[in-house]
Amino acid sequence: MKRSIKSLISIMLVLVLALSLAGCGNAGSSNVIELRVLNYFSIANPGALEEVERVWDAFEAAHPNIKLIREDEFEEPFHFATEAHAAAGTLPDVIYCWPSGRSSALHTNRLLKDLAPLVARDNFGANFNSTVLNPDAMGGGYLAMIPNGVTATHAFYVNLEVLESVGLEPAKTYSELVAQVPILREAGYETILMANEATWVMQSCLMSAIAGRFAGEGWEKAIHAGTAKFTDPDFVAAIEFIERMYVDGVLDRSTVAVDYGSSPGLFATNRAAYMIDGDWRVGDFITDAATGQVLIDPVRQEKILITVFPEIDLPGVKYNANNSVVLGTGWGLNANLEDGSDKLEAAWTLLKWLVGKEVLTFRVDSGGLPVPSRTDIDLASLDLEPMQVAVANLGQHYNRSNVVIDAAFDGQVYTPLNDGLQALGLGTITPMEVAQNVQNQFEAWKAAQ
Amino acid sequence: MTIKGEKKFSYAVLVLPAVLIYLVVVAFPTIFSIMLSLTDYNGGKIFGADNLHFVGFRSYEWMLFNDPSKAFYTALRNNMYIVAVSVFGQIPLGFILAYILTRKLIKRGGGFFQTMIFLPNVISPVIIGVLFKNFVYNRDSVYMEIVRFFDPSAEFTLNNTPMIPVLVVILWMFTGFYMIIFLANMQRIDPSIIEAARIDGASESRVLWHIILPAMTNVIVTSSILAISGSLRTFDLIYVMTSGGPAGQTRVLSIYMYEQAFQGSANYPMANAISTVMVLISIALIIITRAVGNIFNDKEV
Repeated sequence: MKRSIKSLISIMLVLVLALSLAGCGNAGSSNVIELRVLNYFSIANPGALEEVERVWDAFEAAHPNIKLIREDEFEEPFHFATEAHAAAGTLPDVIYCWPSGRSSALHTNRLLKDLAPLVARDNFGANFNSTVLNPDAMGGGYLAMIPNGVTATHAFYVNLEVLESVGLEPAKTYSELVAQVPILREAGYETILMANEATWVMQSCLMSAIAGRFAGEGWEKAIHAGTAKFTDPDFVAAIEFIERMYVDGVLDRSTVAVDYGSSPGLFATNRAAYMIDGDWRVGDFITDAATGQVLIDPVRQEKILITVFPEIDLPGVKYNANNSVVLGTGWGLNANLEDGSDKLEAAWTLLKWLVGKEVLTFRVDSGGLPVPSRTDIDLASLDLEPMQVAVANLGQHYNRSNVVIDAAFDGQVYTPLNDGLQALGLGTITPMEVAQNVQNQFEAWKAAQ
Repeated sequence: MTIKGEKKFSYAVLVLPAVLIYLVVVAFPTIFSIMLSLTDYNGGKIFGADNLHFVGFRSYEWMLFNDPSKAFYTALRNNMYIVAVSVFGQIPLGFILAYILTRKLIKRGGGFFQTMIFLPNVISPVIIGVLFKNFVYNRDSVYMEIVRFFDPSAEFTLNNTPMIPVLVVILWMFTGFYMIIFLANMQRIDPSIIEAARIDGASESRVLWHIILPAMTNVIVTSSILAISGSLRTFDLIYVMTSGGPAGQTRVLSIYMYEQAFQGSANYPMANAISTVMVLISIALIIITRAVGNIFNDKEV
């Protein structure tokens, strides 16, 4: 009797185990694909509060067979997380990234999948600006990501309120700008506001555009090819122009002590007639949809023009009306996703959604994206604030694009350049010395490659 | 198991966790950092990576000899300024303040005085950095407002010595810390010795020179070690105040290391080389400090 009870219990246990395993089997075959996503998410970004619902929840609702496990990071922790994942070989399936710069390691080590075959298969590039899908513009020389937009690192913000208060109009030439300095100073205004304390701002937001005007198109390629040098007269003339801006008082020497976070507040409170920054700064001025707070209200925004630096009416300038433009951030896929796998298809579906018309329209609308990479977004149909419209139309103010220095050269090269441009403001170095230092750094960097 | 064996076993059981934690938390990262400084690692997978090679002392050679900008030496010079201000500024000042309080050379408000001097130590360096940046280090600073009150045409200018405001803040911030250390140790000196000396006709300066100062030798050495290691590690205050600028003139080794590792395209071998050199400099300075301390101790004997 006792033995038969034992046998019965054993049989029941085996049955329970078998049923459990069968249950597990059913769960596994339910075709729910889990995707890990590394997302750049800052609550301070325009439209951040809406992003979860409009972007992520909406995708999961439309794709019940795809489950997203999102890792949200921002600023430096985002880059630390990316590097840590890369070092540990645990990169998520879908990754927010830069076309080069901070995401260089992902590109040069080919940790991101080449998206060219998928783009071609689905004819996905049809509604994109042709320049954004250019593999040569990316760190690894292949299509590792699809950018959300195009970024102009130089934008010349004009405060008409300030200018009108002293009876001036926006300067059309550099000479006019110089002539405005004493008038503005007399009235207690600065001429150009720039947050030059950080180690990247001067070369990225000012020098990149100025170098194009003096050194011409493709100057960076000539340097990389060894047919030109930073010490050539053209490039030195560009540096001399920056020095001249300090000397003429157009750019106050004290701007090298202005930190990047404080310039929007200073500009919004009419401290200066002009401001130089990237196009992304617009997001700091417009109304925050979640809180309703605004730095420059839409009525005052009508008095802000966004254009490019005035015509430089000096000898040596090859052309004016240019800008420094680089691909914006976007999305890539983990290179380890197997071709033809369900997971790759799910990740590609998500990526297409993230750079799709609906999401990019939301990002433009909320102020998080000045210029989208897609061509099928009708900006006129959106209820944009005046500064958003102005930055979206920035392209109308220039007809030539030049390289952004920190996208074209290594930090070993552009950091000494930025240091040199700051030092010009301190009067501790000459333009030729700056150029020579940068050339030496470039040669040393090249020799180490 | 024999008693000797049991002793060895229990010793091992007690020591092993600490040794393991030390190996994992201290030794491994240190050795790993040194090894990484000898490679050409530029991100991505470390273990099993195809494109990771040992390149010897390339990063060190670049940093010490080949870098045309001499950025390492600028950063090192700034660190040495901080070491100098710490060792020859904070410690003597802390000592003097502690002496004044211990010997009750000020009759009233000693407690308030002590609290105010120590107060900066309980405030985050980040807050102090922001505070002083707004107080002195920009064109709209409180300092400039005061100057403009007397001279409305005054303009904020940066000169060739942007480290000076930083050093003043460092001096102000940490002096209280050393004052507390000296205060605690001075209070341990038997008052009867000092009283006996005074009865025998010793002046205040002789009491200081022959009783208090010798008793403080070890404390001075310990404080110097703390000051040196702290000075070489300094980051937060300067990063908030100046970000190492303008033109890299307030860049210290830790900021230089941070820029190499985390700004622009990362150069991890260089960042690890800088950190290794920082450790070596720190060890060298501490050895020198101990040697100097030993000389004074010997004299005392």
